[in-house]
Amino acid sequence: MEAELQRVGRSIQAAFPGRTRNPLRALDQKAMELASQDMELRAALFRFVDVTPACRSLDDLARHLTGYLDEVDTRPPPIEAAMKMSGTKAGRTALGAAAAAGVRRMAHRFIVGETPRDALRSIRHLWEQGAAVSVDLLGEATVTEPEADRYAARCLDALETLGEAAPRWPERPVLEADSLGPLPRVNLSAKVSALTPLLRPEAPDVGRDDAARRMRPLLLRAKELGAHLHIDMESVDTLEATMDLVFELLDEPDLSDGPSTGIVIQAYLRDSPDQLERVIDWAGRSGRRPPLVVRLVKGAYWDHEVVEARQHGWTPPVFEQKRESDRNFEALTRRLLEAWPHVRPAIASHNLRSVAHAVACNRELGREDRDLEVQVLRGLGDDLAAALAGHGMRVRIYCPVGDLVAGMAYLVRRLLENTSNESFLGDQQRGVPIEELLAAP
Amino acid sequence: MTVSAPPTTDFRNEPILELRRASARESLLAALRELDTRLPLSVPILVGGDRGAAEGVDSTDPGAPQRLVARAGRASEDDAAAAVDAAVRGFRDWGARPAAERAEVLRGAAARLRERRLELAALQVRECAKPWPEADGDVCEAIDFLEYYAREALALDRGRPLVQAPGERNTMRYVPRGVTVVISPWNFPLAIPCGMTAAGLAAGNAVVLKPAEQSPASAGALADALHAAGVPHDALALVPGYGDAGAALVRDPRVHVIAFTGSAPVGLEIVRAAAETAPGQDHVKRVVSEMGGKNCVILDSDADLDDAVPEIVYSAFGYAGQKCSAAARVLVHEAAADTLLERLAGAVRVLEVGQAESFATEVPAVIERDAQERVLRYREAASDRLAASAEPVPGEGWFAPPSVVAGLPEDSPVNREEIFGPLLSVTTVRDVDEAMDVVDSLPFALTGGLFSRSPTTVERVAAWSPVGNLYVNRGITGAMVGRQPFGGNRRSGSGSKAGGPDYLLQFVEPRVVTENTMRHGIPVE
Repeated sequence: MEAELQRVGRSIQAAFPGRTRNPLRALDQKAMELASQDMELRAALFRFVDVTPACRSLDDLARHLTGYLDEVDTRPPPIEAAMKMSGTKAGRTALGAAAAAGVRRMAHRFIVGETPRDALRSIRHLWEQGAAVSVDLLGEATVTEPEADRYAARCLDALETLGEAAPRWPERPVLEADSLGPLPRVNLSAKVSALTPLLRPEAPDVGRDDAARRMRPLLLRAKELGAHLHIDMESVDTLEATMDLVFELLDEPDLSDGPSTGIVIQAYLRDSPDQLERVIDWAGRSGRRPPLVVRLVKGAYWDHEVVEARQHGWTPPVFEQKRESDRNFEALTRRLLEAWPHVRPAIASHNLRSVAHAVACNRELGREDRDLEVQVLRGLGDDLAAALAGHGMRVRIYCPVGDLVAGMAYLVRRLLENTSNESFLGDQQRGVPIEELLAAP
Repeated sequence: MTVSAPPTTDFRNEPILELRRASARESLLAALRELDTRLPLSVPILVGGDRGAAEGVDSTDPGAPQRLVARAGRASEDDAAAAVDAAVRGFRDWGARPAAERAEVLRGAAARLRERRLELAALQVRECAKPWPEADGDVCEAIDFLEYYAREALALDRGRPLVQAPGERNTMRYVPRGVTVVISPWNFPLAIPCGMTAAGLAAGNAVVLKPAEQSPASAGALADALHAAGVPHDALALVPGYGDAGAALVRDPRVHVIAFTGSAPVGLEIVRAAAETAPGQDHVKRVVSEMGGKNCVILDSDADLDDAVPEIVYSAFGYAGQKCSAAARVLVHEAAADTLLERLAGAVRVLEVGQAESFATEVPAVIERDAQERVLRYREAASDRLAASAEPVPGEGWFAPPSVVAGLPEDSPVNREEIFGPLLSVTTVRDVDEAMDVVDSLPFALTGGLFSRSPTTVERVAAWSPVGNLYVNRGITGAMVGRQPFGGNRRSGSGSKAGGPDYLLQFVEPRVVTENTMRHGIPVE
């Protein structure tokens, strides 16, 4: 299998699109490079991006920017120039305008539109290029009932808007069916924490029930529209509530035969093998059709989990070495693929090795390529998506939708990921040789 | 003198339970079921190893007042005098022991509390209506105090380096003061009496502990742990009872240190009474006081409300606002005011008010009928400015609905006086400078909060703020031993920081010895 993995990996790598020569993208790339080289500068830039939507004027924006940069010891020349501009009101306005434009541009790279309607053009374009999407509605934290209701209403609107537009998209057989049957064109990912203000780690049932009350109508509508509704996973604090919510809702008679839906397993969690077994066990017992889609991810809340655990004196629930997570990801990939056809596997990773491993493993088990889905994030996995689509694989791009205020937490997480020295994408951009990129973890 | 790493470098806070795991929650519920079979507990007066009366003070469950949690003795003035008699005797032995031996005893007591931590948390649920996360946190803090002060006492025992000149040897050492009276509140029924008692004992003093009448059983458990670990009975007496016993202890001319945590009126009265020097009293009493607060959170226009709203809600309404550190006021920049108030109000409306034993409960009953009436009185005074409230609340038990009021005039008593309950007042200000003026106008200076993402604003407020503990971009409660030494300034306290490196200095007196090392013109060092 290792030989097949290497072959698949090289073949996907060869299909990566050439570097775009878009000057704006090159500028972002430059900023990212600067940020990944200097931790202080990185912190300053992220704090600035984070505060952008809360600034009241260009002047306010520039004052914040220089406030952060002032804490950076060694400032590269472009940053020094920015500091000089901030001495005058006119300079600050110009600096603020330039910085705001930069943040908007970066946000656009990761976020497809402010509303589902705004995003339709981009989504259709991706579909035509051979990639499906899952739409994720970005939002501020839900701390009140009206906020939870608004998020539910936005989910409903997204289902309706996409449901109305999707029939007009051209046929893309790879994206529309696997050997178990048809796959919905419309695919929405929803967050349990956004559907209730009551989610608390020490009382998971309270939030679970309140979120279920809002999730149920969404699932029923998705069923009527023939759409897929995926329930995202967040931090460990909400894991128990999320898992319980999914199983309890899907066991209800109205929902036991649809819609297509899914859950997420985070491979960076030490307990993730048990969690996956629980999902597979449930899927086997329920015999649900269409089968539950299980999206396997590494997990996006690593820093949060480690810091929270350290502050409380707990053993972190996540693997602390990236290599351990990568190994676990491969083990869980195999387990997930073996569980087909009780579940539909979706492998979500930008790591070429992880993706090639899933493809090779699936083939080794005698399964068809179309019974495996690969998922990537908009803005980070676009090149990988194009390469996979070129190989006739089914790839789905996770596309956040929302305005800049709502999207900021998401954007900062993506930027952190993109500038992390540990990330696969970083290695790839630095031109690490293919042997290393595909080496076993 | 050899310089070695301070002993506190190996100090680690006791990990709180991981309540997001079902198994941890179940273990606490099992401990509560077990405790319930033993109620009411008996808490006798404990002086010199004699178990005195265990009646006169009834401790009940604030959420279900018909439930009797403990029957405790009611110490008289004679009992107080007998306790000081014993402490005078006990001090001779305990104060003479090596610091390392005393430290070991305290760490032994920490181990005993650790073994009983589930049961002790359950006791706070019943005795003080403390919800589980906070009850567990309180037990951990008690353990932390014992571990921390044990290490700090060792550091103190080494004295401090002085400037040395040829022909002389200068040494500075710290010795215990004598009899220490601890008067403790009910809101942290184990941690606060434990902190003050552990500090007194670690420094070598004998302690007389007078716990609040609302929570004698938790204090009884503390005394049991300390005695079982090896603190002699003469060196630690427990005198449950009311204010008359406390006042008698404060007046006693043989008392050297009074460590008090509680309300400002009582604290100021103690300061006044302790200043009187009785005939024959050959020392000045020292008062270590930790009193109230009117704690303000400043929220600037660039604050992240996603973070700020839940943190403010917890700071104001966690344990029904009955923490000295709790948020009483929010001073919000006018540009953020409407959004903040809307979100804050919505978040308060969904607060779960109920019995402390339910993990769902966020806001429990307040401690007693008087407290309930006090909170409702202030709420009534501000009823025309009520922005949100979580209602209805359970009919039985001392419940008060968590409420937010907005736009009260600056001179409203709701804005000026300590309420010590679930009532939060929001005031819109022009900018951070106006917010600082409001903070400056208050007599208290315990904790404060600031939500801002501007480094210049953070630095400006930090440099200026009079409060003892300023929290930036987080909640303003939950100080951790060793990490956030805790204590207020102005009328909030004497400025000492519990759980910090200076705290023990108040329980000792410094002595300097200078020895001439010249003999016949020759240094003989």
